[in-house]
Amino acid sequence: MLEQLLQRYRQGDRLAVSRLVSLAARGEQLAEIAQALPAPSSPARVIAFTGGAGVGKSTLIGRLIALAQAEQHKVGVLACDPQSPLTGGALLGDRFRMGATEDDGVWIRSLATASGRGAVAEHLDLIIRLLENFGFDVIFVETVGAGQGDVAVAALADAVVLLLQPETGDDLQWEKAGILELADVIVVHKADLPGADQTAAQVRAMLELSPNRSVPVVQISTKKGEGHAELWKTLLGLPKRRRLT
Amino acid sequence: MNRPLRIVLAKVGLDGHDRGIKVVARALRDAGMHVIYAGLWQTPEAVARVVADEDADWLGLSLLSGAHLTLVPRVIEAMRALGASGVGLMVGGIIPEADVPRLQAMGVARVFGPGTSLDDIVAFLKESGVRGQESAT
Repeated sequence: MLEQLLQRYRQGDRLAVSRLVSLAARGEQLAEIAQALPAPSSPARVIAFTGGAGVGKSTLIGRLIALAQAEQHKVGVLACDPQSPLTGGALLGDRFRMGATEDDGVWIRSLATASGRGAVAEHLDLIIRLLENFGFDVIFVETVGAGQGDVAVAALADAVVLLLQPETGDDLQWEKAGILELADVIVVHKADLPGADQTAAQVRAMLELSPNRSVPVVQISTKKGEGHAELWKTLLGLPKRRRLT
Repeated sequence: MNRPLRIVLAKVGLDGHDRGIKVVARALRDAGMHVIYAGLWQTPEAVARVVADEDADWLGLSLLSGAHLTLVPRVIEAMRALGASGVGLMVGGIIPEADVPRLQAMGVARVFGPGTSLDDIVAFLKESGVRGQESAT
């Protein structure tokens, strides 16, 4: 059964990817799947997006998908949403904010993420490899946004983008959680709102306290359509440093 | 059912009323299912893409606009084109009784008309289990 799936996967059957991702997400047959995947000849660029609930991660990812596609990239998206510890149920509602697509150059997968285990679903590294091997050369990972456990995301990704929004004081929250240390790019989202400039200035001041790092701070407004191109260009300029297993 | 059932909920066509579908989404989540909310104004092809890429067990279509006899076949065809015919299909919304047999003949496993309780929907899905087609009569 697995062998058939892997055969179909190698032959470019997109449904087989879907099934294999489901197996990986459930922690089934991980070793067999991992063994069947060659090391990628050209690793994908993996970018993780983190930030509190409602800050606009999904919306931002949706805009970046369009920019990446315009440059002929094939984009995979792994959107993690929390799973209820009581019922085991999950409302996976990130993808509908990313824009619907019929075209096969984008692959969006929603993953229910058990609480207390970190910011992303389990076995994400294998899922990334499945997509990467299938030809997706840009992969966006959206974390659940709870704040704890985001440290693990840094190892899976080439870059971590932290989204903040004006006037919520959440820059301080993120500093406390240690995430500010890990972010490669900081986005002040909803930059059309009052307080955006102050938030950006505060973050830059905080970053200056760590002289070894130079972390770009980009202001982005969906409403005004500003900042997305700058962010995309910044992301492309970052090195690929993901630990490949 | 030893793993959570994955169901896509979507609205196709020109219908902007999303309160009902969101209520259903929450009820299914509270019943332990994984609900992929695909949103409003979807084309049949986009819905089929969601179902395939998300490896869904079921698709729940909400249709209040009266266009079900046009849209449901298009969704079924779009799913077939992507190899996702094995996914169970249920339809909810404003569906005249007279149209139910026709929808069932097309392959819709269950139609939930006005007055359906959330318990009905949950019970149906729990009985049917994962990978809808395996237990459809």
